[in-house]
Parts: sequence; structure tokens; C-alpha cells
Amino acid sequence: MENITEMLKGVLEGCVLEIISRGETYGYEITQHLRDLGFTDVVEGTVYTITIRLEKNNLVNIEKKKSTVGPPRKFYTLTEAGREQLDLFWEKWGFVTNKLEELKTKEMKRR
Amino acid sequence: MNFFEKVTGSDMTKEMKNFEARAKLLPTEYQTAWEEIKNNLWVYTDFTGRNLMPILDSALELLEVTAADGQTVEEVLGNDIKGFCAALVGDDGGKTYRDKWRDQLNQNVLRKLGGLK
Amino acid sequence: MSIKKIIEGKKEWRAHVSRVKSLPQDYQIVYKEIQKYLFKVGPVELGEGIGLLSEILAFFEEGVAAGKGVLEVTGTDVAAFCDALIEDSKTYADLYQESVKQKIDKKK
Repeated sequence: MENITEMLKGVLEGCVLEIISRGETYGYEITQHLRDLGFTDVVEGTVYTITIRLEKNNLVNIEKKKSTVGPPRKFYTLTEAGREQLDLFWEKWGFVTNKLEELKTKEMKRR
Repeated sequence: MNFFEKVTGSDMTKEMKNFEARAKLLPTEYQTAWEEIKNNLWVYTDFTGRNLMPILDSALELLEVTAADGQTVEEVLGNDIKGFCAALVGDDGGKTYRDKWRDQLNQNVLRKLGGLK
Repeated sequence: MSIKKIIEGKKEWRAHVSRVKSLPQDYQIVYKEIQKYLFKVGPVELGEGIGLLSEILAFFEEGVAAGKGVLEVTGTDVAAFCDALIEDSKTYADLYQESVKQKIDKKK
């Protein structure tokens, strides 16, 4: 889906954390995952700005590894704080989706 | 009055001298711009000038790097140095200027990449 | 800044510039525009050596290796990319405004 960048803000960080939690990975791979998932608007730069932020906030560990093509790549794994952040994200996400579903399907009380 | 007269404290004079030495290496056109930037910035300074040092440093770095690239001053600073300086210190009058920088960035990229094809 | 730091900085900077020069044209153009923008906005990381710039450079080199065009990796809104990069960094302008505000508060 296109043109959902605005809506995705804030959610993407959680998505990136989830992808990293599944096993060591690097920026371009994360981007590909998201695009395959259907977030076709997401470019490498989008993910890059997120991983930089995760780095700064110590939510990920970094290991630089040589790559067969191009410069060394940064591989990410979650830190303990990153894992906590991820749990928190799903908790918040659960709350939001619940409430939105409620709003969409339940009758509203008129006051 | 100018920066040199206003700046106090030996560490600061030293830093200003350092700046001037770096500025002397710039092309003439850029040196003029540097003077203009200083003239416009000093109204923002406090008694010691200390809080402006990092701003001057990065402004000078901008000039050094772009001069080395052979860009024109006009292209780097635009034609409103006063507004540029207001934006450097984050003054209210400079807010729209940061938007201008954003537009400039995207337009330059578009124009220059277009020139490649 | 100590003399030693300046010399090291210059060496580091020269190495950095030569890496920029080995990028393909389109990447070089965008890199230079980004650099110019960042020097104007002045996030404090810029004063802490070339960390931020060399990060961007490494990111670009990866894009080149992946065979992508520059706007494919940054997105077409390069300014938005830059702003996201420095989203939670303070700028020199922020520090300046804080120092002014402190003075006013003290006078009260």
C-alpha cells in the first residue's frame, strides 16, 4: 500500500524491533522484509534513520561484519532494553487496535 | 563594534583568532561572506560571545567545505544573509528559513540529478 | 581544540573526502547537498568529529554495493531523510536559545 507514511510513523520502529528480534539482521534486509510485507513506500533510508535512533538509545547491539559486496555491514541484535521496548510496543499496539475495532463495530452511545 | 571588540576572555580571543586564520584560506568571495555572517551574528551574542562559538565554527566549516567543492557563495547561503544568520541561532525570524533550507536541499538534488541524465 | 586533534581531524577528513569522491556521481551530489544542509542546521554531533557524516557515507556505500540509485535509498524527500536522522539531536541553535533563556530567567 502507498501513501501511508504518515500513519506508519511510530509504528515502523516497532516493526523494525520485531524483525531484529527474529534474528541478527542488517538494514537492507530489514527494508526488504518490510517491502515484501507490503509496505512498498519504505526505502532503505527510512529504516536507516530508525536503526540510527535505536543505536543511540541502546536498544540494539551492533556487530560489524565484512560483506562480499561493498563496505562492512552493521548487524543488529536486540539488547535487553530493546526487548522491553518491543514488548511495550506490542502492548500499546494491542490497545490501539482493540479500541479502533471497538470504535468501528460497536454502537456509539449518544449523550 | 565587532566580534573582536565584544569577545572577552583569552580562550575566546584565541578561538576567534583561530577562526580568522581559517577564514584567510578561503576564496575572496567566501571571505566577504564570512565577514557578513559575523556582522549579522554579533547582535545575538551575550557579554562574552561564548554561546556563539559553536555556531560560528559550524558556519565556517560550511564555508570551508563548500568552497573546496567549488560551489558559489550564493548557492550556499542564498541572498539573505541576515535571515540565514537568524536561522543559525534559531531565532523566531529564522523559522521559515529552515523550511527554505529544506526546499533548497530537495530542489538542488532534483536539479543536479536531472543534469546527469 | 588541541593541535593534535586538529591534525588528526584533518587526516580523518581527507580520508573521508576521498571516500566521497569514489561514490558514483548521483550519490556524490546528494551527499554534498546533505552535508551542506547539516552544516546549516548544526546538530551537535557534527562537532564531535565526522561520526554522523561517515555514518551517512557508509550507508551510501552500501546502497552503491546493492546496485541502487541514490533516491531509491534516501527516498525522494531528501530533507525529510535528514530531519529524521537528526530528529532527537540538539542543534547549536537549540543550545544558543537555551543559553539566552537561562540568562533571562536569572534576571527575573
